Amino acid sequence: MDEKKAAILGEIPRLRRYARSLLRDRDSADDLVQDCLERALMRLDNWQTGESPRRWLFTIMHHLFIDQMRKVNRRGEAAMLPLEAGEAVAKPAEQLEGIASREIIDALQAISPDRRAALVMVAIEGFSYAEAANILGVPAGTLMSRIARGREELRGLLDDTARRRAIRIVEK
Amino acid sequence: MIRRDFSERDIHMALDGELPTDERAAYDSWLDANPEMKARSARFTADREALRSAFAGVLDEPVPARLRKVVLGEAPVRAAVPRSRWWLAAAAAVLLATGGFGGYFAGIDGIGQEDPAEDRLAEQAIAAHVIYAAEKRHAVEVPASDKDHLQTWLSNRVGLKLVAPDLTANGFQLVGGRLLPAGEAKAAMLLYEDDKGERISLFVTAESAENAKGTYASAQDGPQAVYWLDKGYGCAVVGSLPREQLAVVAKSAYGQLLAGLAS
Repeated sequence: MDEKKAAILGEIPRLRRYARSLLRDRDSADDLVQDCLERALMRLDNWQTGESPRRWLFTIMHHLFIDQMRKVNRRGEAAMLPLEAGEAVAKPAEQLEGIASREIIDALQAISPDRRAALVMVAIEGFSYAEAANILGVPAGTLMSRIARGREELRGLLDDTARRRAIRIVEK
Repeated sequence: MIRRDFSERDIHMALDGELPTDERAAYDSWLDANPEMKARSARFTADREALRSAFAGVLDEPVPARLRKVVLGEAPVRAAVPRSRWWLAAAAAVLLATGGFGGYFAGIDGIGQEDPAEDRLAEQAIAAHVIYAAEKRHAVEVPASDKDHLQTWLSNRVGLKLVAPDLTANGFQLVGGRLLPAGEAKAAMLLYEDDKGERISLFVTAESAENAKGTYASAQDGPQAVYWLDKGYGCAVVGSLPREQLAVVAKSAYGQLLAGLAS
């Protein structure tokens, strides 16, 4: 196996984690990773020597994700997906997700894709601002404001969840 | 020690390891002097830990064979046309992000695996359907002939602006409606009938804090419920129609209900 392929294989767990945080559903996330890997292999020549495989692959995957999100937005199909489609999308939540994890994963899915990607890139994947801005293709200032807004939005959603839980307890 | 004014922006930078080392001490004393900022920083830090641990397990999962095969060249490389499944998940994510109609992340079909709130709504709706749809003369409290009153009354009781959907395009006529308990809240049930006497019902409640969507059947041959939950309302359409047909009717009903709520 050549070195490039070995390096790509080594990045799959990270790519899967990033995809999972973007899409939540395991199969959908793996589909995104698969698309990313296929595209990467077709463009192996574009991978410059010395460039980190991680950054290269994350960039490819992020573009796939964002392009698709934009198309979906433009088509305005958001109004209602057919039920059959919804069924294909929704999988029982990961069985081992604890309640706290589930709440934060739900909240993460509810913030805008751009903010979600920025936040995850830095907070989970551990990229620096410069690296993340580069992968996402946005200026550092934009990245920072997405992270800040993303965090605030996430916290707001978690506060809402906690409040609703409190109300339910009080009502009992 | 460097002195400068810190702001909330620095909380994010500090958290993300982007604060220059030589500013750290000054930043820490600024936090100590600003309890509100310190609390904020603590919340964000906790959230980050929660995020990390929520996804930490993914790294330990074995790499699916299909992904290895792509890299090792054991699978034919296709033109990268996005697969439908993740495309749909992306669409669902857009829905959520834009405050669309409910969430898609909850389980579907996996009875007993979902959030209890969804099960509860579906079960209540099915129970009501089983009892009242079978009643010939006492199926409803207020008949369709008194539709305006029915809508006003149920809206007031349930606490939602209810408009009985027009399902004539699907072959169903409104029979009427009734008020029902739904846990500690109230629910409106609207009953419809086609010309063969087949009945479906809509069950709407204002009590929901979830985002979910799915189908549910309590028994093998019993009626099915197609439900949606969103912040502030939940709705289930119940019937014994073939699943595809029920889905079509449910979609139409839900669309009209939503339009009514927003009107």
